[in-house]
Amino acid sequence: MTSTQWVLLAMALLSTGCASLPSQGRGMNLRYTQHEATTPALADVAEAAGGALPRDAARPVQPGLAQTRQALLGAILHVSASTRRLSSELSRLEASKAGIAGPPTIFIPFVHEGLEHLRWIDAELAAATRLAHTASEVEDPDMQRALLRLAGPRLQSALLGSMLLAAWVDFLHLADVVLERCPYYSVERLFIRMHRLQRLMEPSMKALASLEPGQVEAAAKDLPALMGHLTGEFHSTREEVRTAAERYEQMWVVKDLIDLLTTASVMKVALPRLAASAVPATLGVDLVAGSDGVMMGTRVVVSAEWVETMRQLVRAGVLSLPAVSAAVRIEAGQVLLAEAHDELPKGVREALGDGPEVRAMRVTDRAGAGMAEPPEHHVLPREFREWFEQRGFTGEMSIDQFCVRMQRADHEAIHGGGDWRMGRKWPGEWNRMIMKALHKAETDAGRMLTPSEVLKVVAYRMRLYKLPMNFTPWRGP
Amino acid sequence: MSGGSAWQGNWKVRLHERVRELGYDSLTAFANARPAVPLLALADELGEDDVAGVQVLSELLAEAERSHQVTRLMRDVLVRELSECLPDGWPAVLDDANRFKVAMALGSWAAFAPETHEQRADQVSDALLATPPPPGWRPLGPDDELLLTLLPDEEV
Repeated sequence: MTSTQWVLLAMALLSTGCASLPSQGRGMNLRYTQHEATTPALADVAEAAGGALPRDAARPVQPGLAQTRQALLGAILHVSASTRRLSSELSRLEASKAGIAGPPTIFIPFVHEGLEHLRWIDAELAAATRLAHTASEVEDPDMQRALLRLAGPRLQSALLGSMLLAAWVDFLHLADVVLERCPYYSVERLFIRMHRLQRLMEPSMKALASLEPGQVEAAAKDLPALMGHLTGEFHSTREEVRTAAERYEQMWVVKDLIDLLTTASVMKVALPRLAASAVPATLGVDLVAGSDGVMMGTRVVVSAEWVETMRQLVRAGVLSLPAVSAAVRIEAGQVLLAEAHDELPKGVREALGDGPEVRAMRVTDRAGAGMAEPPEHHVLPREFREWFEQRGFTGEMSIDQFCVRMQRADHEAIHGGGDWRMGRKWPGEWNRMIMKALHKAETDAGRMLTPSEVLKVVAYRMRLYKLPMNFTPWRGP
Repeated sequence: MSGGSAWQGNWKVRLHERVRELGYDSLTAFANARPAVPLLALADELGEDDVAGVQVLSELLAEAERSHQVTRLMRDVLVRELSECLPDGWPAVLDDANRFKVAMALGSWAAFAPETHEQRADQVSDALLATPPPPGWRPLGPDDELLLTLLPDEEV
């Protein structure tokens, strides 16, 4: 598609107040699609490159572990700061008796919905933090890296979830102002609008909360478009309220409030562009990585510090580039999306940690296009689930989180020593050996082992079997 | 770390081929020439990508069973485990952290013991914990004096 076509398309989309994308993925189980505006010209967009979480520890890309862990904790803090802000805003809204929490009480479930999302986001942040701390307690570098990689998907979902939640909180604020100050704006109209937005957001939130890699990846890819759509909705609602206020000559009452809302909004970047109809021609192409971070024109979209954190986490295989890209595109405002919907410019991608090695990781991680991935197998034997639970292997540390993918023949070999008929009689049989090593270590230590001690034993056993220390959650029954 | 290729193909054939390529007529001879070297290092020398420590152990055990030298192998493997888990020798103070290190080494070793030797392995660890060897103790091979006392040969 030529740049002229892009501009025309962008303008066409913007004139409908929408810059979202048509569905374009194969085999994705979640798609946000904007029904009113699908554009045939966009339907043949190639699927974005890559996307699976890079996870193989055998690759040459291995930043320092301490750095990776610091970057992870830094990124968690960053998201936590935003959830704390959202938490206090939601509490305020929950108590806004003159506004959204007042009669008619039909609006309060919207606030509660926000609180529900906040709960899972905070829970994932806490789990990611615990994993990072456990990682610091095990000495084996591969096991440390594996634990940081278990934390990655949780951080990634929390990061994207918090962005979406911030947009929702913006709508709650707008509704609060309208309900408190603008009696002339139809309550029914506002309710229908909020309800529709809630239903639009729900699948993405669900997908992010599921932590299921395929679903999260699909949600991440769709998120910038969804945010773009929400921005359009925010803009048009705001304009309607403004018009209604003008009609009732009460502009002075709401104007300042609405302007204030916009300034604090997560959508503030994109909003002015929506309002100015002829702008897109010059925008979107100038997203570049510089010493200040990622810049759009003269504006810093994301700081150099943030870029550095993300670069480390992407290169270490903790976060996936599609998720990080989605975050950057949201920060840049959705106008950009019309021109570069699925991909960030090359320079920006590279600044975020994309490179030949990371791309190679993704390709090998997928076990080849179209090939079924080998099945998962528990490293910590399932028949001893309770034993592990008593030692702290619950939640994010559940034994179901510690599975490795192995071809059937390899799996049979570690249980039967290459002769399947020997089954568990083989002296090297995995389950027997690991449990024996753990039971005996406990007896000799004279106490229960801590989770990180159990993982130390496990890491050593995995080395003895040359198993890749590369965990994937159990998805079977 | 390998992508699991240690378990592909016939690993026993591969392992013994490597031993022959290095000029030894048995895995035991290869291991004997490297006393107190951890199993992980033995495996890496035979095949960094495709030979695993547990395979070395299991084949050493098979050879020892044939030559009736399992007890000697148990001492030999304990020496290797101690060298892996306690590279600085037996700790001077058995505080909580050091006790775990010792427990991990002994647990790992006990897990290698064949059924016939499980009980004796447990007795050896109990003895080592009850009457600890001198600080810095680092046996250099299966003929270490203390180990010969704790786990003497019985086989003929």
